[in-house]
Amino acid sequence: MRIPISWLRDFAALPDDAGAIADRLAMLGFPVAAIEKRPTITGVVTGRIVALEKHPNADRLQVAQVDIAGGSALTIATAATNVANGQTIAVATVGAQLPALKIERRTMRGVVSHGMMISADELALPADWFEDGILQLDGTTPLGVDVVELFGLAAEVLDVEITTNRPDAMSVIGLARELAASYGVPLRLPSFVNPGEAAEPAAEAPHVILESADCHRYVAQRFDGVSVEAAPAWMRVRLALAGQRPINNLVDVSNYVMLETGQPLHFYDADRIENGKLIVRSAREGETIVTLDGVARKLSPQALVIADEGQPLCLAGLMGGMAGEVASETRAIVLEAANFNGTRIRRMSASLGMRSEASARHEKSLAPALTDIGAARAAQLLSALGATAYRPHEFGASVAPAQPIALPVREAERVLGLAIPKERIERHLRALGCDVASTESNVLSVRPPAWRRDLGIAVDLIEEIARIEGYERIDAVEPSVPPHAISSARFELERRVAHALAALGYHEVITYSLQGASLSERMPRASVAASEPAVEVRNPLSEEQRFLRSSLLPGLLDYLESYGPTVRVFEIGDVFAADQNRILEQTSVAFGFAADPSPQPWHDSSFLRLKGDCEALLRKMTGRQADFSRGAGIGFHPGKTASVSVGDREVGKLGCIDPRVSRAFELEGNAYFCMLDLAALPEYETPRYRPPSKYPSTYRDIALVVGVEVSAREIERAVAAALGDICTAVRVFDEYRGPQAGEDRKSLAVRMTLQRYDATITDEEADAAVSRVLDAVRDEFGATIRA
Amino acid sequence: MTELAEIISDLQRRFAADADAADGEHSLENLRIEYLGRNGEVTKIRRTIGTLPAEQRPEAGKAINDAVAAMEARLDAVHAVLQSHALEEELATSIDVTFPAEMPQVGSIHPVRRIIEQTCDYFMRHGFAVVVGPEAEPDYYNFDALNIPSDHPAREGFDSFWLSDTVLLRPHTSPLQIRTMQQHKPPIAIVAPGKCFRRDAVDARHLFQFHQVEGLLVAEGIHFGHLKGMLTGLCRELFGAEQSVRFRPSYFPFTEPSAEVDTTCPKCKGTGAAAAAPCNMCGGSGWIELGGAGMVHPNVLREVGYDPEVYSGWAFGSGVERLGLPRYQVDDIRRFINSDPDFLEQLS
Repeated sequence: MRIPISWLRDFAALPDDAGAIADRLAMLGFPVAAIEKRPTITGVVTGRIVALEKHPNADRLQVAQVDIAGGSALTIATAATNVANGQTIAVATVGAQLPALKIERRTMRGVVSHGMMISADELALPADWFEDGILQLDGTTPLGVDVVELFGLAAEVLDVEITTNRPDAMSVIGLARELAASYGVPLRLPSFVNPGEAAEPAAEAPHVILESADCHRYVAQRFDGVSVEAAPAWMRVRLALAGQRPINNLVDVSNYVMLETGQPLHFYDADRIENGKLIVRSAREGETIVTLDGVARKLSPQALVIADEGQPLCLAGLMGGMAGEVASETRAIVLEAANFNGTRIRRMSASLGMRSEASARHEKSLAPALTDIGAARAAQLLSALGATAYRPHEFGASVAPAQPIALPVREAERVLGLAIPKERIERHLRALGCDVASTESNVLSVRPPAWRRDLGIAVDLIEEIARIEGYERIDAVEPSVPPHAISSARFELERRVAHALAALGYHEVITYSLQGASLSERMPRASVAASEPAVEVRNPLSEEQRFLRSSLLPGLLDYLESYGPTVRVFEIGDVFAADQNRILEQTSVAFGFAADPSPQPWHDSSFLRLKGDCEALLRKMTGRQADFSRGAGIGFHPGKTASVSVGDREVGKLGCIDPRVSRAFELEGNAYFCMLDLAALPEYETPRYRPPSKYPSTYRDIALVVGVEVSAREIERAVAAALGDICTAVRVFDEYRGPQAGEDRKSLAVRMTLQRYDATITDEEADAAVSRVLDAVRDEFGATIRA
Repeated sequence: MTELAEIISDLQRRFAADADAADGEHSLENLRIEYLGRNGEVTKIRRTIGTLPAEQRPEAGKAINDAVAAMEARLDAVHAVLQSHALEEELATSIDVTFPAEMPQVGSIHPVRRIIEQTCDYFMRHGFAVVVGPEAEPDYYNFDALNIPSDHPAREGFDSFWLSDTVLLRPHTSPLQIRTMQQHKPPIAIVAPGKCFRRDAVDARHLFQFHQVEGLLVAEGIHFGHLKGMLTGLCRELFGAEQSVRFRPSYFPFTEPSAEVDTTCPKCKGTGAAAAAPCNMCGGSGWIELGGAGMVHPNVLREVGYDPEVYSGWAFGSGVERLGLPRYQVDDIRRFINSDPDFLEQLS
């Protein structure tokens, strides 16, 4: 909201420094987005044209005598065409400093001109918001007065942000009250007496029917003797400084009162209201209105309108319609100062795609008491313009005084940690408009002012006290945190996994949880079986946000495609699946990389490296050895995928990505990933130490030729079983396929480590053990020794 | 006999000459094999002892053994000298230590996780627990329980992604505060990090998917001064011990009094200017926003079954990527979600 500081100064004495005022507003809770400085303008005074003649030597020019109440009149030549004898205008005298030039005596076609008549542009006001030519002032303006001082043109304009709970502060008076309370200076309020109160009711009194519960209160007041023309210059200038374009005296009064008091108003041409009856109702389906901006709008029942018996005349609290608007012929008006349900106005505004200064206030639910205040100020200004005010009529709820709030004096200290004397508490609350009475000695009975709907309970008052006192007065204190039983285990688990993967050489990335069809359908379109239907977002901003991911894989493959094949990545994040009406969410861990295909199709060292990382990770997290068996997974190569288990629980999958999927993601080479379900990981099992044997170990290597379908794990298990206790380790360490093994056969090299705990193992014992092994594998697998 | 003695001394003479000429471990080893090896010179001579008369054999054997001992001693001595030379040479060698290293393959955690961990560690040191939870949450936990009534602007569907009539992607991690207070009696001291979603257009300062950290302390006797103390400490933890912290009044439905918390802009150090232009990190004000905070609203406490006359508390919330911008002086918030390798490498 744009606030000229000169307007604020009408209501309270404030410091000269605009920066200080802006800082104070920020510390009251109203951040200032910008401070607009005004250019320096000096030497411009009010004057009256007392004589005007054509210029003797120039057709386009006129020569005026201008009385600036400083001795003899000034001779001033002008090219303006809107000047006339008797006008009151602004004149820049010799030596005056304007934004673009300095005024000197000038000879214009033989006539010496001792100054220049001023237009809005020279006062740094928007030229197209004012009359073409010289700015016209009120006939009652005193002469010889500095115009900048008169209109407050030197002071800065603040752009203030108001939080949604303080619509009362979307007004000059509202902010002036805040500053006065904070600086501890008196607030000089104008009178809020409506001149129409003392008048008779109008013969054709406006009648308003409230059909909608969303209009809580409606004040209607008739004015006769209205003539539509330009508003007085001081009002137009002040509106322009506040960023509001002057239109005519009636529209300007309504905008002026809205900016000053915070109550939006609307005026109707009284003679264009059918039967003098206004109805506040929901629009009917298909009803139309042409609003003041010339746009024809089709309405639904969501819109709230003020209508006469013939048609809607106004979108409530938002914008007036052209039918019923004041025009140059208007002689009588009906003023509307109304109070609406903020949510209704906000929804109407959103559905029509319209906003206005009025709706920006109404949508925050104004206080009903503002209606009387707004009507009174408008009535004062309209009367000063010569209109006749009739008695205002109220419809709907009357303004009830607020309920008093009991505020124990010590409560402020309890909440804020700052002891504030009772007198200061009372002073702050009264400065904000509260009625404060002491009941017992340490409980105050506080009645909030009628325009503050946001003050309802004791902490609301405590916030006010803190704001006026200044948050900076509260000292920072270290809390001592009492013990509690809340666990951080789940966070710590995820943290340990992340650091373990980083230690294994993977880089953590974060990908999008929301995906478009193009990403989430790449796997199904690659003829790989689709998973369950994805959870859909009802209101995405774009198609790329349509679905929640069901797996980390597409996002990570997309990452590899974007950032190159050499990166090793991991991600820990939630994935989603739809299960009838429920959403299943679980935390998934994925890590992997892209690599060139291995030279031997049956031995994949990239797979084995990933497997090693997985084993190392699971050993670190669970203290146990992971098991790997043939498995399958969506997006994984059907022959190169393992199911990963710890103990008897499956914890995830690991393998080469299905080449159809890799190709769909335009990856060169293969991709390898491990995906784990974080919640499935068993608890860490502390290892138990077993001291090594005092006796030396020995080893035997054998090469067994078996069918290609026999797994290394089966061989290891069979060998260990056959060896018994003297075996401390069995490990398949090489695989060979080729002519020496035979067709559909392979050779597995096995190292057996043998050791006894009670004596040194002898060669004979070792040899005998190997014999047992050979018998066992021959029987179970038809294994032979490699030649 | 004298013939043997001559042979032995001739052997020793030849050996001495060869030993003098030995120029390394290799030739020394060859020498050992040639003279003292299984098929070496000494072995050949030993075989001739059998041709001597019996009473000469012991003396002959001793003479040979003496010669062998002398030769071995010589070999050992030469060996020692060679070793000593090799050691000297080694010690006199130097390498270019400035040559680029062979770097290990170290991974990294994401800068977002690092900020979250640093924040959580700060709170854990003060006795707080860290809680995490689901991203899809019912509207009760996101709004109703937080004193945001159904007609409040924040609920209107403008700002959140909805999955059903009642379930949405959480726009803040506040649901965890409510759940924790429902599951435990006071005192509550938690910090709740997590991924959040808001229906915002993406630009250099906004993401629709981002991370937040929220904190909550509810106990007897907690007041606004404690909130200031904790958050001042957090700002200093994240940005340096010299940080100033400022609390400005604001409005949130779930706190009263409410505040916006600012801290000194790390780029311009609070001066507002950088290289004769307004600082582009803080817009020239010298302050950056940490987040929102305030005393927990009595309605929120009552909703979870706590008596606001007995318990009070404070809460705060910060955007993690938003903190990352000034922390790492990043120019564009989208880099955090792009996670490109150079970005991760620089900030690791």
